[in-house]
Amino acid sequence: MTTTVTEPGTANGTTPVRAPQRARHWGEHLFVVPAVVFVLATVLYPLVFNVDLSFRDVGVAQIVTGGAEWVGWENYADQLGRDEFWHALVISLLYTGLAVVVAFALGMALAVYFNQRFPGRNVMRSLLLLAWILPTVVSANVWRWMLDGSYGLVNALLEAVGLVDGDLFWLARPVPALFAVVIATAWSFTPFIMILLLAGLQGIPDTLYEAAKIDGAGAWRRFTSVTMPLLKPVNLTALLLCFISTFKTFDTVFLMTRGGPGEATMILPIYAYNEAFEFFRFDTGAVATTLMLVVPLGLSVFYFRSLRREEAA
Amino acid sequence: MGTTGGRSVAAWTARAAGVLAAAALLTACGSGSDDETSGDGDGGSTTLSLWHYYGTPDTPTGAALQGLLDRYEEEHDGVTIEARHIPFGDFTRTLLQSAAGGDLPDIALINGFTTQALADAGVIQDLSDRVEEWGESDAYFETGWETTQVDGATYAIPHVADAYAVYYNETMLAEAGLEPPATWAEMQEHATALSDGERYGLAFSGIEGDEGATALVIRLLAAGGDPAEIDSEAGVTALTQFADMIAGGAVSTGVLTWNEEDVKNQFANGQAAMMINSATYLSVLTEENPELQWNVALLPTDAQASTFLSQENLAISTSTENADAAWDVIAWMQRPEVLAEYLPERNKLAARDDVDTGDDPVRAIFAEQLQQAWAPEGDLAAASSEVLTRIQGALQAAAGGGASVEDALAEAQGQIDEALANVE
Repeated sequence: MTTTVTEPGTANGTTPVRAPQRARHWGEHLFVVPAVVFVLATVLYPLVFNVDLSFRDVGVAQIVTGGAEWVGWENYADQLGRDEFWHALVISLLYTGLAVVVAFALGMALAVYFNQRFPGRNVMRSLLLLAWILPTVVSANVWRWMLDGSYGLVNALLEAVGLVDGDLFWLARPVPALFAVVIATAWSFTPFIMILLLAGLQGIPDTLYEAAKIDGAGAWRRFTSVTMPLLKPVNLTALLLCFISTFKTFDTVFLMTRGGPGEATMILPIYAYNEAFEFFRFDTGAVATTLMLVVPLGLSVFYFRSLRREEAA
Repeated sequence: MGTTGGRSVAAWTARAAGVLAAAALLTACGSGSDDETSGDGDGGSTTLSLWHYYGTPDTPTGAALQGLLDRYEEEHDGVTIEARHIPFGDFTRTLLQSAAGGDLPDIALINGFTTQALADAGVIQDLSDRVEEWGESDAYFETGWETTQVDGATYAIPHVADAYAVYYNETMLAEAGLEPPATWAEMQEHATALSDGERYGLAFSGIEGDEGATALVIRLLAAGGDPAEIDSEAGVTALTQFADMIAGGAVSTGVLTWNEEDVKNQFANGQAAMMINSATYLSVLTEENPELQWNVALLPTDAQASTFLSQENLAISTSTENADAAWDVIAWMQRPEVLAEYLPERNKLAARDDVDTGDDPVRAIFAEQLQQAWAPEGDLAAASSEVLTRIQGALQAAAGGGASVEDALAEAQGQIDEALANVE
């Protein structure tokens, strides 16, 4: 589901490193055209189409034959007045927030651990990456089986140590189900965070730790006073990336619970999917996905702002 | 690498990563589309495309359909049918997307309950004239034929039908000295008596979504209820009993996470003494679990005898250039002698009454059960997916979510009323 596109034209302008003179030939711009066309066709067009859809009355007939009527903000008013929408937003934020916290805590712990030198480090690190590489359809179904009440591994373990009595169907109960999808999501994001943080950790020179040690700082103090401040930009990046990816996660939750039981794990992407493709209300589905963009976009603005502050400081 | 260098590198990576994240976020909004060339005439030969959700040719259900298509090709020189399998969950969505892109197949094998929606959307064409000329509509049982009707016109013809009945483990019932239940009160008593902590008395699918509503709808119909009016006396009776059976351990809480295949597995493994399921699993159970002693009985009845219809219809797309050839295929598939060979392979029942499918007693029970099948009609048909999803929601809320039966039904009723009001 996740498509990450690396665009030469979008990352850092088009400045060639060795361009000697200021005057540029128009021909240089030609090289950017494929990238621009690609972005316009695959990113901008669907986005604009979706926003346009959200302002029209689009049912099952209009999606095929066209001719959808323009209704202005009516769809938005309708969605914002629906308890189900707000419920999905709250669940989305809860799910994303919890998953990010868990994934970040685990990722940080693993990064600090793997930042030390010990035999077998690289093998272990590569193995951990498997969780990130594994296709979601595989991992989500494995989680579903592990959490099953009658033959699931998790239940069997908990029963063996006496924490649970009888069959506990994790995905059939609201709170355990939410907990389960959070853990499954955090599990797959942890290695990703670990890699990002590890890269940051390796950029911190050893001399700083040595100096701190001479000043009498213990391990915890070195972590809070040297590691964390210097890691701040990387932390921000990791948190933001993880939040955005988790916020738009569809596959893990859909495969594990389909938004159930009841509406306990009904996150916004599944809500939007149901509106459009289960109940054929393409307009309100479009409204939900458009509104879904607001949270990550807001976060991105906040992120770039704080990045600029960080650089200015 | 110096301190400042490290920091600026980190900042740069962070910024680049931010851009990537934004790109990933935006591309996630894009939707995929399919490229599929539809069949067209080629000199003296015709190529027809047919989309279905039965499975790829290496699955038992997909192989049965492919065998049927092969037989048609053998009997008809110059006609080639290209079948494409699309998974059930994606089927209707893919049809709608392809229709928007002007890229439909000639023939679509659709879920009976989606006939109205696809007709409303202009995906499938009106077959009324052809059906009248054909003159075989009287052979079909009423509920099944009704699913092909949209505003008085015929938009499809039935392909196969199926119904839900009770599979029971003969060994377990004999040990307990029980006969298959005749009423729902007996069903609860039996299920309670047959559960022992290790195994459960009854299993059915109660999974999230419309699929998980089937059993509760069956129970509701037995109590004389109407699925559009779930917040009713019959609704209370049905949901209270299901919630009691789950709370009392006669039915596993796991039903809320099981699809029909999972339910079949529970039954096949001896984890459930009875299950409510369709005829789909008849030969699978026989082949995969030859030692299992089981039989099939009619569903219990209370106020009325009723089951849930499961049916596929054959339809011709609005954009086909081979409507005549397509009609010939779907009408040929409904010939009694063709169905007689195909239905046992496919583990399905005939939607018409002139097919001789042998004297298998189990199939006879399903055929009898089918006569009492219920299917949504009118506005309820148009909104069936949403209404059934809400009914499952009520089951979930009362059986797993801690809501009272009354609250669960009231909540679901509100959503059902809204869904029905939205039907245009």
